[in-house]
Amino acid sequence: MRVPAKGWPQVAGGGRVGGVKRVFLLALRDLRLEVRDRSGLLSVLAFFAVMLFIMALALGPEEGPLRRAAPGVLWVALAFGSTLLSTRAFALEVEENTLDDLLLAPGGKEWIYFGKLLFQMLLLLPLALLSLFMAAGLFYLPLERLLSLFLTLALGVLGYASVATFYAGLLSRLRGREVLLPLLLFSLVVPVVLASVRATLGLVEGLPLGEVAPWWQLLLVFDVVYLTASALLFPLVMEG
Amino acid sequence: MLGAVEVKMLKAAQPDRPDALTWVFLGLGLLLLPVGLYLALAAPPDVNQGYLARIMYLHVPGAWLGYLAFFVTFLYSLLYLFRQDPRYDRVALASAEIGLVFMGLALVTGMLWARPTWGVYWTWEPRLTTTAILFAVYVGYFLLRGAIEDPELRRKAAAAVGILGFINVPISYLSVKWWRSLHQTQSIDLTTGKIHMDPAMLQALLFNLFVFTLLYLGFVRFRSLLAAIEDRQEEA
Amino acid sequence: MLLRLQAISKRFGRDWVVRDLSFTLQRGEVVALLGPNGSGKTTLLRLMAGLLKPTRGKVERLGQALFLANPPAFHRRLTAREHLLYDLAFHGKRGDWEGALVRFGLPEDLPLLAFSSGMRKRLALARLTLLQPDIWLLDEPETALDREGRGLLLATLAEARKGAGIVLATHDRHLVEEVADRALELGAA
Repeated sequence: MRVPAKGWPQVAGGGRVGGVKRVFLLALRDLRLEVRDRSGLLSVLAFFAVMLFIMALALGPEEGPLRRAAPGVLWVALAFGSTLLSTRAFALEVEENTLDDLLLAPGGKEWIYFGKLLFQMLLLLPLALLSLFMAAGLFYLPLERLLSLFLTLALGVLGYASVATFYAGLLSRLRGREVLLPLLLFSLVVPVVLASVRATLGLVEGLPLGEVAPWWQLLLVFDVVYLTASALLFPLVMEG
Repeated sequence: MLGAVEVKMLKAAQPDRPDALTWVFLGLGLLLLPVGLYLALAAPPDVNQGYLARIMYLHVPGAWLGYLAFFVTFLYSLLYLFRQDPRYDRVALASAEIGLVFMGLALVTGMLWARPTWGVYWTWEPRLTTTAILFAVYVGYFLLRGAIEDPELRRKAAAAVGILGFINVPISYLSVKWWRSLHQTQSIDLTTGKIHMDPAMLQALLFNLFVFTLLYLGFVRFRSLLAAIEDRQEEA
Repeated sequence: MLLRLQAISKRFGRDWVVRDLSFTLQRGEVVALLGPNGSGKTTLLRLMAGLLKPTRGKVERLGQALFLANPPAFHRRLTAREHLLYDLAFHGKRGDWEGALVRFGLPEDLPLLAFSSGMRKRLALARLTLLQPDIWLLDEPETALDREGRGLLLATLAEARKGAGIVLATHDRHLVEEVADRALELGAA
């Protein structure tokens, strides 16, 4: 009937579309959306502040116990506060029904996972850093080794976010995901919390780096294992 | 062993009743269970712990099968995700359910044993903590299954939890171990409760392990069949 | 052949929404999907797109399929320009987004929050024009469009069919007569 002459279309293979660029653009777009919305970010920040404040009141006012408790409090606050944010990455798409459009983009689906993960990291890392400063003020934490502390934050937050992003995607189409997500998440991230708390404690207590390094290694192992597993499973659970 | 058995079961076309092998496992298991208990009670008491050591005849098989069951769930969850055949999901579900029961048994008997031995019901020993974490993961597994109505999404989500939850085992074990080693409070080591094994004790333990394994196989097959019937009713 | 459905069925819970349906779409073809509300038109389009998996049967696609939902889905806090630019990037494509916005009569820098449903529909058409899928799957594309918008839709379809295959679900018999080569009628559920 009509002109079917163009020959077979170049069916988009996984490699054809610039993978890394897509990942960055997706993360930046989501960041843009989140910043324009603001309310979510501000409430999480307020949550961190209030939680740290109350914990400091409950555990204080002596300097010694406060300082010892600080890493635990900081990471528990981070874990709880982040669950408020972890559904955001996919809630953005579900609220607007735009997840389908992302899934229909050519090539594999891993890039969506990595984009959303990067978005989570870009949100969580500054928030984590802010909470660290707040904790430093309220709990008398010394910040001399800021760089090492930041490395701990980055490794810990990455481990947390790698699982959180995966589960958030998996549960994105589900009602009641806000309750289920922390439940599934917390049992998995026990190693992250333990290792991060220990590493932070070691750093503020002035232990040599050699004694802190094993915790970083453990965090790194967790990060690599869960990043790989999530990236492999993500396309399988998102299709169809 | 399980693999071969399960493959055979998977091939059978939608049976309504348990097949002969399921009955053999279940029947033999239930028949031998009293024998195992008799052997456990007849075995000599431990030199140090006395009669208390007998709790291990329930505890060790329970823990062992709990871990085996969750490993089977892990395997079948992987199979499900790659092959998308609901039969794999049913075996994963069945195994997780039975695993939760065995694991619960192991945790409770462990606590009952810990109280007179260590003076506490619970201690943050790596094996205990890891087991508790795994238990929590599979409680989440069932809560998740209950929360999803769409069968396909339910299977996929459950499979993902079954996989991610199990690969967590070595990492959480290691993290708890280090966490304790750097934090020397009143340290309780499982080796303080070491039992010097008399041959009769070992035989009784192995026999119980065998009986529990039979029961596990029977229950998994039975439960998979129930799940298949449930699925068919959901669809019909 | 662009798209082939081989005896597909789809069930939600206990209800069969699509039963034993076979269908082929050729390049250059426009097929109308007809049927009352609840007859499974949207489900069928989503099956064709690969957003749903059939309970039974097989779906083969030889080309990139895109699905236009009704109402179309967009991020409210982006502007039309931003949305098109991101979409092009996600698909690894380039295109004259400025020309498309002018052609469909859309403002560049207004957040989509301020768009009417007709404008959103136009933007969705502009998006598809830029992304140039091989298989266009449109769910009631004519709704919410004014007379001018409808003209744009007809022009878009006429242009698109030169290189692609189109399936559109609609209740508009006039539209069917104007653009469709054949129709696929779905029965009531």
